[in-house]
Amino acid sequence: MRSKFILLFTIIYSSLFCKELELGSNLPFGDHRLLDISGKYLSLNNVKGENGLLVIFSCNTCPWVIRWEDRYVSLAKKYVPMGIGVIAVNSNESNFQSVDNLEEMRKHAEYKQYNFPYVQDFGSRLARIFGATRTPHIYLFDDKDNLVYRGAIDDNPKDADDVDESYLKNAMDAMLSGKSIKVASTKAIGCGIKFK
Amino acid sequence: MKNIILTSCSFLICFSCSRVDLISANAESIIAEVKLAKGSQAVLLNIWATSCPPCVAEFPMIVNLGKNNSELNVLFVSTDFIDQINQVNQFLHQYGVVGKSFIKNQKDQSFINGLHTEWTGALPFTIVFAKNSGEVVDYWEGSQHQTRFNSAIERAIKL
Repeated sequence: MRSKFILLFTIIYSSLFCKELELGSNLPFGDHRLLDISGKYLSLNNVKGENGLLVIFSCNTCPWVIRWEDRYVSLAKKYVPMGIGVIAVNSNESNFQSVDNLEEMRKHAEYKQYNFPYVQDFGSRLARIFGATRTPHIYLFDDKDNLVYRGAIDDNPKDADDVDESYLKNAMDAMLSGKSIKVASTKAIGCGIKFK
Repeated sequence: MKNIILTSCSFLICFSCSRVDLISANAESIIAEVKLAKGSQAVLLNIWATSCPPCVAEFPMIVNLGKNNSELNVLFVSTDFIDQINQVNQFLHQYGVVGKSFIKNQKDQSFINGLHTEWTGALPFTIVFAKNSGEVVDYWEGSQHQTRFNSAIERAIKL
């Protein structure tokens, strides 16, 4: 009986929280307060630019993040001045007392020269409502706060110089020029978010 | 002399029996391997990485599920980068994995969708295939309690 209950609970829990936000959905939890490495509380609405918002679910230690995160910085350098706000969200609540604590996040951001806010998502509430499952996991919203792209940064975590398809960059360029986004949803392997 | 030769032969046979065969593969060839077991064994496909703590935590339990059930074929698919192949091999030896095991050699998007369209790419990922029909009985992202594994395997062996 107990094992059946555990199984049922697992299935219900998974179905509640693993559904990715649908393309076209409006930005959820825009005013939700998130603790930034600066010590201040920020919301997605604080960070979004006049032309959109890029939300990156990330963390400090995932090997896929480590391989991709230099590209966060170069994307922010290019697109923040073009009116797209950028924020990295750490939803690994199980690690908030260890490798993903605020001090470690601060050190990591400094070492990697992050040029955007890096916040903790207590209760992994943002990850759950977005349906984010892994790091890195990308969500791009347009100037009307509608989701226009979700998924991966590009198709080569190992080597930025050997990318065949720059999914996110293509999506941002198309969004800014008012064109339709050809590939609006992609997948990539990443570390599962450590929900508590 | 005869004893030395016999002992050496026995050692070599035992060594080859306990050897893991790590194969660089794409999704298509992994699914082809799964289909080979149809009619004889259920298959549990576990996609993991050495750098993924939840994958590593459930790894010994999954190895034991395979060892303790002759009707189940456990296949591990590493998503470590191909330049980490020695590290993966060492890990598999350390945990007593024998027989075929795989390491991904394909771009993520086609690899993920080739294994299961509902997989988002988060690790670990597990798929259980039925013994007789070969159909997917259950799948899940993230680590799970052994109860979920047992329940899926039990159904997979009957179907």
